Amino acid sequence: MASDRTSSSARTNRADGLVDLYERAGYLRVEPAVLQPADDFLELAGEELRRSLFITSDARGRELCLRPDLTIPVCRGHLEQGAPGRPAAYCYLGPVFRDRGEGSAELLQAGIESLGRADREAADAECLALALESVRQYGAADPEIRMGDVGLFMALVAALDLPPAWQRRLIKDFNRAGTLEADLATLKLARGAGAEHAGVLAALAGSDPAAARALVADLLSIAGIKAVGGRTVAEIAERFLEQAELGAATRLPAETSAVLERYLAIVGDPDEASAALRTLASDAALDLSAPLDAFEQRSGFLAAGGVDVSGIRFATAFGRTLDYYSGMVFELHAKKKGRANGPLAAGGRYDRLLTLLGSANPVPAVGFAVWIERLEQAGGRP
Amino acid sequence: MNEPLIVGVPSKGRLMENAHAFFARAGITLLQPGGGRDYRGTVPELPGVEIAYLSTADIVTNLAQGAIHLGVAGEDLVREMIPDADARVVLLDGLGFGNANVVVAVPQAWIDVRTMRDLDDVATAFHHKRGRRVRVATKYVNLTRGFFSRHGIADYRIVESLGATEGAPASGTAELIVDITTTGSTLAANGLKVVDDGVMLRSQANLVASLQAEWGTDARATARALLDRIAAERRAHTMREVRTRFPDADAEMVAEAKGRFGVIAPLGGPTSSGMLTLLCPPDAVHLLATFLREHGAEHVMVAAPEYVFARENPLFDKLAERLG
Repeated sequence: MASDRTSSSARTNRADGLVDLYERAGYLRVEPAVLQPADDFLELAGEELRRSLFITSDARGRELCLRPDLTIPVCRGHLEQGAPGRPAAYCYLGPVFRDRGEGSAELLQAGIESLGRADREAADAECLALALESVRQYGAADPEIRMGDVGLFMALVAALDLPPAWQRRLIKDFNRAGTLEADLATLKLARGAGAEHAGVLAALAGSDPAAARALVADLLSIAGIKAVGGRTVAEIAERFLEQAELGAATRLPAETSAVLERYLAIVGDPDEASAALRTLASDAALDLSAPLDAFEQRSGFLAAGGVDVSGIRFATAFGRTLDYYSGMVFELHAKKKGRANGPLAAGGRYDRLLTLLGSANPVPAVGFAVWIERLEQAGGRP
Repeated sequence: MNEPLIVGVPSKGRLMENAHAFFARAGITLLQPGGGRDYRGTVPELPGVEIAYLSTADIVTNLAQGAIHLGVAGEDLVREMIPDADARVVLLDGLGFGNANVVVAVPQAWIDVRTMRDLDDVATAFHHKRGRRVRVATKYVNLTRGFFSRHGIADYRIVESLGATEGAPASGTAELIVDITTTGSTLAANGLKVVDDGVMLRSQANLVASLQAEWGTDARATARALLDRIAAERRAHTMREVRTRFPDADAEMVAEAKGRFGVIAPLGGPTSSGMLTLLCPPDAVHLLATFLREHGAEHVMVAAPEYVFARENPLFDKLAERLG
């Protein structure tokens, strides 16, 4: 077990070579604090993350955690310096902490974050190429490249002209591995959330928001409910209206779910996938030309950057579980499976993150992280 | 015996009283030699037992770590505090007290929310529109995470609350709660309602065995004796002793009674003089009494047995099976 014998300083020395690689490519090294506010991670990644976080609190009761990754701290640091929209390129190397139930919870990660570049497709391609170069630097054989595109799914859902409630639900469940298929099945069979509230919904059909609010307010006062916790009367009325609009069509139309299923079945190299996607779009009369143009442009940049595009395994259903990802997502896996599970590198486009962290305007962003211990195992001794 | 069987018992309050009563019914007297301030106790009937008086949370922690062999604890705490509880402890038996449900409760004003599916929809919309997640106040962090995940709910945040959780929505520190409730009246008083399919766990006090503890020969033998007494008392609860005597009582009639009322004849069929003793489920007693009189019985006497010992020791078997 080579990685267990590697002393931590030898490990760090070798990983410094990655930092050199990134610095030569124009990325500025940053070193965020190990101890971070837990709130950002939980708010952005959700409670599912909590089980793997090491959480503590300071004397004022603020929840702090050992950083489970560096993307959020690097972006936080960027925002603290102001002018969030300016292009910036950062790289890092340091430990991250995740309780995985077994093995060491302290793992070394290196990676980059590229912020503010408007030429998204070129930036995506450079990011993936640099991740591949990182793997190569460890002497590992060419890895398997798995790719997906969260943005494409969002574009599809938007083009399908679904009620907002379903759009939100599909996008949420796309990010939760394994639940979307179950979701499609329920949506096809759903008797609809409206069934329990048939009376209210019938009364609301065709109402405007003001009338709906008045009705909800009346219902609450009839029921003797004074305090409205957390949500406003307007929000409750709005949700009733949304459901009333769904009306009898509380079931996902057969053609819509067929399109979604066909979409999620598309796999292949990016060129095959984009051809299949264009056929699907034209069969279903959906305008996906802008996202597909961008998709093909990215493939072009990848090829120009020396990446073997035909070797990429693209799958429409491939997503990453963090909902701030917004476009290309990828993972690099050792072809020969070793002891370590999980990708050698993982990354993607996350244009929503900086807004979620407080930037007034969206900031394009893409990055990746590599797992040093896994790279050592895949590559062997230098 | 040099290796005691350590049994964790709640050190105060209703749970302690109920636990004492439970053991007393099984003929197990818990003695605190130094009075209420002594955190170690003994059992005169079973010298191999050592009682450890602990808070309920400490009982669960000690079970998980194997510092005690057995303990009385609510299933809610066991499932909340021990990750992968079923691999580390065995819930031997529900004790019939400490009943409470762990439920998801939302403001009554959320008249559009009846099911977890509604809540999922509302949580996602809330996140989307407000740019932050709905907050769930609870002390059941792990139970909540597991239950919400099973219902596909991702857009929420947990706010840990160690007391007066039901007040959190009114005070604005959370939008909804997950809490324990017995009658629901505290929830209603705080303007909250339970989501229809939002009952996460129907909990009661359990006799719990640790799989992490050292289970030597002595501890096993003591556990076998302790659990035998408890099982005999539990078994007695499910039965009434029915006695009668009449000449026409025969094996054929007993066979019919077995088929119709689920009785057992622990002493065998009727004696030559027609003496018959049956054990009968409590709710079939009246039908059985009628049946026996129709067959010629003059009197049928029914009594509640204090203990019914049997060859099997199901509680110990359950433990032994897991200990291997």
